[in-house]
Amino acid sequence: MIPPNYFLILSVILFVLGSVAFFVKKDLITMFMSIEIMLNAANLAFITLARSANSADGQIIVFFIITVAAAEAAVGLAIILLIFRQKKTIKSEDIKLMKG
Amino acid sequence: MNNFFALSPILVVVLGALLVLLLDVFLKKENKNYLAYISLIFLVICAFVCIRFWNKNYSYFNGNLFLDNLALFFIFILVLATGFVILLSMKYITFQDVNYGEFYALLLLALSGVAIMLSSIDLLIIFLGLEVLSICSYALAGLKRKDEKSSEAAIKYFLLGSFATAFLVYGLALLYGSSHSTSISSIINFFITESELSIMALIGLALVIIGFGFKIAVVPFHMWTPDVYQGAPTPITAFFSVVPKAVGFIVFLRLFVPYWKNALNTQAIFWILWVICVLTMVVGNLVALRQTNLKRILAYSSIAHAGYLLIAVLAQDNSSLVFYLTVYLFMNIGAFAAVIALSRKGKEYLELEDYAGVGFKYPWIGVTFSIFLLSLAGFPPTGGFLAKFYVFSTAVREGLLPLVIIGVLASLISVFYYLRIIVYMYMREPAREIEIAVENPALFLVLFFCLYGVIQLGIYPRNILVLINQAVSSFF
Repeated sequence: MIPPNYFLILSVILFVLGSVAFFVKKDLITMFMSIEIMLNAANLAFITLARSANSADGQIIVFFIITVAAAEAAVGLAIILLIFRQKKTIKSEDIKLMKG
Repeated sequence: MNNFFALSPILVVVLGALLVLLLDVFLKKENKNYLAYISLIFLVICAFVCIRFWNKNYSYFNGNLFLDNLALFFIFILVLATGFVILLSMKYITFQDVNYGEFYALLLLALSGVAIMLSSIDLLIIFLGLEVLSICSYALAGLKRKDEKSSEAAIKYFLLGSFATAFLVYGLALLYGSSHSTSISSIINFFITESELSIMALIGLALVIIGFGFKIAVVPFHMWTPDVYQGAPTPITAFFSVVPKAVGFIVFLRLFVPYWKNALNTQAIFWILWVICVLTMVVGNLVALRQTNLKRILAYSSIAHAGYLLIAVLAQDNSSLVFYLTVYLFMNIGAFAAVIALSRKGKEYLELEDYAGVGFKYPWIGVTFSIFLLSLAGFPPTGGFLAKFYVFSTAVREGLLPLVIIGVLASLISVFYYLRIIVYMYMREPAREIEIAVENPALFLVLFFCLYGVIQLGIYPRNILVLINQAVSSFF
């Protein structure tokens, strides 16, 4: 059996990768995808920790988080679509009407 | 005690939202104001429920949702805030061509998220409530669909908000891993019994602070605030500046005050919040000095106020925190009401130059706006002065003198940019003519109520302090 710590380390790596990608990438959809990766890293951590604690709570929490992520995606993609209709671009550097 | 009544504030608000969405289909665009009246009726019912349940301590879902006095007090206060926002937007949304029925429905649904957050001590349920609030807020920020600034506000709020959510969820996972539960009381129990410094739990707690820090807009996590406040429809900005901040601080109160009272390894988290608090007060006030847009000035001022509120959290003083939040509601919504008053069909006046001469041309708006600004700056005899006074004096008693000195200096800086608006209103010649729609009874009602609140809390706060003490003495 693979020890649970390996999964925990994998989830930390995924989380860090997601947060780095959020700052590095310039495309709104890719930025949104990196947030989804971070959420899934948290899901992996929940499952691993629930497994090592021998309790089912953590696995149920994962379903809540998946639902929340889906609701967020629905609103988020609609907003990205709105931006695309107005500006014909979804590059984050083109969104700069307000500054200071 | 398991009692179904514990769900009623949430159910009433959700029911109102669904009814508004349903009726929206049948109403013509000119008649959308009826939806505002319906939402107000449901808010009144919800407020009435809060008053009736005072001291009853109903709970449901095995104690995961309960209505202690603290929850009831804040549900009442934020129902009041949402009611003000609805009154403010009745004319505004027809002027700005955003009169969709979804406007009121989303506001009510956001309020239901607030009620969920306030009436739980399980961090998972608090997170779910926060998401209900946030997802409605993202949509509300972008509701001016033809305005590019509004969509820009929505996308910025959405991306940074869900980025913060990811941090919150990961922190929750780490806290769950160390204490095997997500409820605040068992997390604190874990911190009390653990004598060794558990790195995983501390990182988890820090990530949770980051997640909530975005919502209450404290300084390293404040970048979204001015842009979102500027782009969003103005009544919605008033909503953002009060409601998420208030619930965020109540979660902090439920989490940190018992934690500091009991746990052993508290130094690290205390100093993290200490640094955040200082940064928030200093940066918020300094950057506000060089803003010329009214909404951005008020955005930075609300960041600075989050700093003063953090002093109350650090001093572990529940009642001054709650009192400050109550006063902040009245003065901030009042200030935004005055900003909204300066608008007409298709036009809003938001630049500082537009305010030149307003004080004499529209005396009512000038006087009330000045009083709200003086209250935000902390002049007696307004509520803002007493709120700051309580926070600073308890902080001195708790031995946080350096923090108080920085706080007083920061609020001295803030006097400059608040007074600058008043100077513009009364001592500058108008550079260009502005023309506003004066007939707006709902807005003047809000101005009047906020004025009453600010003055009453400043001169005779005794009744409300008694209520606040009842609320904070018995929270779970």
